[in-house]
Amino acid sequence: MNCEQARTQFVDYWRGTLEDSAGEFRTHLGSCERCRAEAEELKDLWGTLGTLPEEDPSMGMRVRFYDALRTWRQQEAQRRQPLWWLRHPAFQAACAVLILAVGVGTGYLVRGRDSTEVSQLRGEVYNMRQLVALSLLQQQSASDRLRGVNFAYHVEQSDPQVLGALLTTVNHDPSVNVRLAAVDALRNFSDSPVGRKGVVQALAKQDSPLVQIAILDQIVELHEKSAVPDIQFLLSVQSLNPDVRQRAQWALKQLQ
Amino acid sequence: MGQGRALPGEWQGMALLHSVTFGYAAGIPIVYEASDSSLMQAVRDGDLGGLAVLFERHHRPLFNYFVHVNGNRELSEDLVQDVFFRMLKYRKSYQPERSFTAWMYQIARNAHVDSIGKRKFEVEIGDREFASTNMMDENLKRKQEVALLKRAMARLPLEKRELLVLSRYQNLKYEEIAGILGCDIGAVKVRVYRAVRALGQIYFELAGEKAS
Ligand SMILES: [Zn+2]
Repeated sequence: MNCEQARTQFVDYWRGTLEDSAGEFRTHLGSCERCRAEAEELKDLWGTLGTLPEEDPSMGMRVRFYDALRTWRQQEAQRRQPLWWLRHPAFQAACAVLILAVGVGTGYLVRGRDSTEVSQLRGEVYNMRQLVALSLLQQQSASDRLRGVNFAYHVEQSDPQVLGALLTTVNHDPSVNVRLAAVDALRNFSDSPVGRKGVVQALAKQDSPLVQIAILDQIVELHEKSAVPDIQFLLSVQSLNPDVRQRAQWALKQLQ
Repeated sequence: MGQGRALPGEWQGMALLHSVTFGYAAGIPIVYEASDSSLMQAVRDGDLGGLAVLFERHHRPLFNYFVHVNGNRELSEDLVQDVFFRMLKYRKSYQPERSFTAWMYQIARNAHVDSIGKRKFEVEIGDREFASTNMMDENLKRKQEVALLKRAMARLPLEKRELLVLSRYQNLKYEEIAGILGCDIGAVKVRVYRAVRALGQIYFELAGEKAS
């Protein structure tokens, strides 16, 4: 391997992605001082380059995006309607004149169409939020899932699918941070019997004291008396963390 | 759907839906197979919700790409929006067997080129300081290093700067970069190396100026 060939491998070397040519490359570096010096000097630069702070876009950018997406969607839905021109301003203006002449019967018909379409659009926006929350909750990275939990706050309270996903997260997510955030988000679902029951049942499935305490606090906050047997069961566990034990005893007192 | 913004009209619709689904048993999660490519396929087939997920994932790196390319935050925000709506517009042309990221950056490059045409002048990135809040507690030496590196980056020709942003910040694979630039992987490796070397030359020159 000559210097020219060796230098095309530098980036792989910095990235740690050298493959079959690794041996030859290292032999060359070992014997060629110039390449060695350059590789090391630029390696530091490459490293620093990867740690440059990222810039954050403004909050407004997100708002504008979702506004525009909603508009796009509405226009699309209108275009899909075979009689979309019925709602075109020019046509409606012409119609108004016609309606005056013909009577109010036609107007009643058009309004009826409109209200069904509006509720259809509402349903679509709703589905979009739900999809985002659910998809994010399924992601590999804990930060994505945290984002999903945060998104769940913006979904209609006690949406059954999002509620189900949040409960699954509380019970099974490997990250304590994500589980804690999900317990918090479940507050939004306290009107739903399923949500309340889910929080109580999650208590037995936790191994993290932090999450156990968060759930106990929430049970007290909700005055969920049906949790008493679950707390008593928790207290019967010999190996229970002392802090959790104390909190559980306190919770029992509050509920009784 | 901006955070914390109430959209009363939509809440009504949701309440309606809620009443329809009351009595659902919890604990049955819906597993979405949501790779970028499958989301984009869903968008292509008419499900726009997928685009929202893609936006959540990619808007920040994309924004940083544009800021490095044009040095203008406001313009960069517009361009990010532009990219996502071009995806919608051209969604039928998306081919799932190709990398989504590569496709996205291809659109981004076009959006950048068009923005120059529209403004009728070349956007020149200056030696300005990039806003950064998390440098407070870093030691002085590192602070200077970072500042110097940003200045060096700003002086690099656009195609080299872009290459470093894609390969280093965005950590794209060689084949993805090759797809975006329309060249082969070998050429990408050589060009990235040359870009780093050119950056090094400017960087060490600036460091020398400072020292002397
Ligand atoms: Zn050599």
